[in-house]
Amino acid sequence: MKLATLATVLRSKNASPFVTTCDIFLKDQGVYEKVKKSGVINRELISKLYKIPPGQVLTIQYLDVVRGIKISFLKNVPAGDPGCTDTFGAQQHAPLLNIDIP
Amino acid sequence: MQELKVLSGTSFGGYMNKEEIEQGFKLEPDVLVCQGTSSDTGPGYVATAVALHGPEATADSLSFLLARAREKEIPFIISVGGPSGTDERVTSTLRLVGERLKKMKIKLRVAVISGQISKEYLKSKLREGAVTKRIVEHPRLPDVLSAEDVDRSATIVSQMGPEPVMKALDLDVDGVIAGRSLDSGLHMAMPMRKGFDKGLAAHMAKTIECGGVCTEMGEGLVFGTLRKDHFLVRPVNPANRCTVTSVAAHSFYERSDIAEERNPGGLLNITDAKFEQYDERTVRVSGARWIPQKYTVKLEGVARVGFRTIAIAGVRDPILIRVIDEFLEEIKKRTRKVFADISDADYQLLLHVYGKNGVMRESEPHEGALSHELCVLVEVVAKTQELANAIVQFVRNLMNHMNYRGRTTTAANVAWPFSPLHIPFGEVYVYNIWHTLELDDPCEPFRQEVLDLP
Repeated sequence: MKLATLATVLRSKNASPFVTTCDIFLKDQGVYEKVKKSGVINRELISKLYKIPPGQVLTIQYLDVVRGIKISFLKNVPAGDPGCTDTFGAQQHAPLLNIDIP
Repeated sequence: MQELKVLSGTSFGGYMNKEEIEQGFKLEPDVLVCQGTSSDTGPGYVATAVALHGPEATADSLSFLLARAREKEIPFIISVGGPSGTDERVTSTLRLVGERLKKMKIKLRVAVISGQISKEYLKSKLREGAVTKRIVEHPRLPDVLSAEDVDRSATIVSQMGPEPVMKALDLDVDGVIAGRSLDSGLHMAMPMRKGFDKGLAAHMAKTIECGGVCTEMGEGLVFGTLRKDHFLVRPVNPANRCTVTSVAAHSFYERSDIAEERNPGGLLNITDAKFEQYDERTVRVSGARWIPQKYTVKLEGVARVGFRTIAIAGVRDPILIRVIDEFLEEIKKRTRKVFADISDADYQLLLHVYGKNGVMRESEPHEGALSHELCVLVEVVAKTQELANAIVQFVRNLMNHMNYRGRTTTAANVAWPFSPLHIPFGEVYVYNIWHTLELDDPCEPFRQEVLDLP
């Protein structure tokens, strides 16, 4: 199933001008456990989806109380630098929508 | 020391709901706290002192808020001059607010704390051996600050912690006005003065500092009640509510790490935080921990890297759309050739193709069929405005007339809105300082004075 259909919140935002942070809140406990257990969301996947070196992926964290997953990675172009086309970093979430959860 | 009631909102713009403010005051807060500065909107606002929201509307809102707080004798802690919070922005905001207070016949005595850091002060700290460190391990930032970094910077602000605000609250003032500051620090000042648990104070501060973002509707004022071993949070608007999800989710917001958040003088650890639905509209939170660390403040400094000019090209010809990549490559190649005597360091030509990968650039995963229409945003950042203009004028002309495979639209290749066709944008700044500075005295960098308004 596509992650887009399993999440109530799926967003990106800046955590400082140098880091993009993505939050995924899953729609119920069962789905959350499934996604967490599947291990699908990992450094290699994020690296591949965003076409960034694995070393640029900072953290992938799970917060059970909100059924949430937080993914953070260094930006190629810091917010506000010439070449930045998303000052708030709020439209960098699209590659996560199509993640397949078995 | 039973409980402390905090009415919280943001003081950014003229969007405040007066009815809601009155409802908030009816809840009898002990203090009103509103944050109104941010680095979210990027470096372009800092040295240029551009306001984020309309200054007149902002002043209307602020003066209403402050007048009501004064009338009800509720102390206030407000950061102004958004988004940058520089001295220039604070001064102009207070001038506009003062004009309105005069008309309203309201007098205020306020402590004003500057959030701007002088380059001389910072360089003298560096000479003394003060420890600095980049906040993010990004290659674009120097690991530690040098005097050269400070010299290159045009304007530097710092997120003051709660301590300067606490100091100001000791004075005989109606409230505190701050420039750039740590949002949650503004909220921690009163609780810390009254001896509440620091971890709880920090977590409540973090929860309510964005106002209604922690609520279901995502907007409006919120009311926090801090107690010995927990706090409660609920929205002011009776039609809105806080839920465990809305509140806990906000603990995630804009942070790159969920467990620990760096604050001046400590880490806020929320790994063991408990969120419970207290009543229909209220959430009860407990369990945050404060782990003391060396005292540091965040420095945010911007340096000018050039001047920008843009032009906006609409592409509607499907034949050009099909070959857009090779077309733009050729444009870049010819531009490099024509401007060969200009050093690469003196200009950057950036072509953003909306409808293809304008938003995500090289990270865009979508491949294959393109839209029936594209927008090519031509951007040049160059050493001078004149050079930026000249390069865009060249590129724009070439884009209009250069031949491409299968072309039939020999009148002009693209569609330009606006006349003149190129738009000189102005100065371009980047964050060159994004570092922590260790301090022995949390108040040292932040000048305070007492002002009578109007």
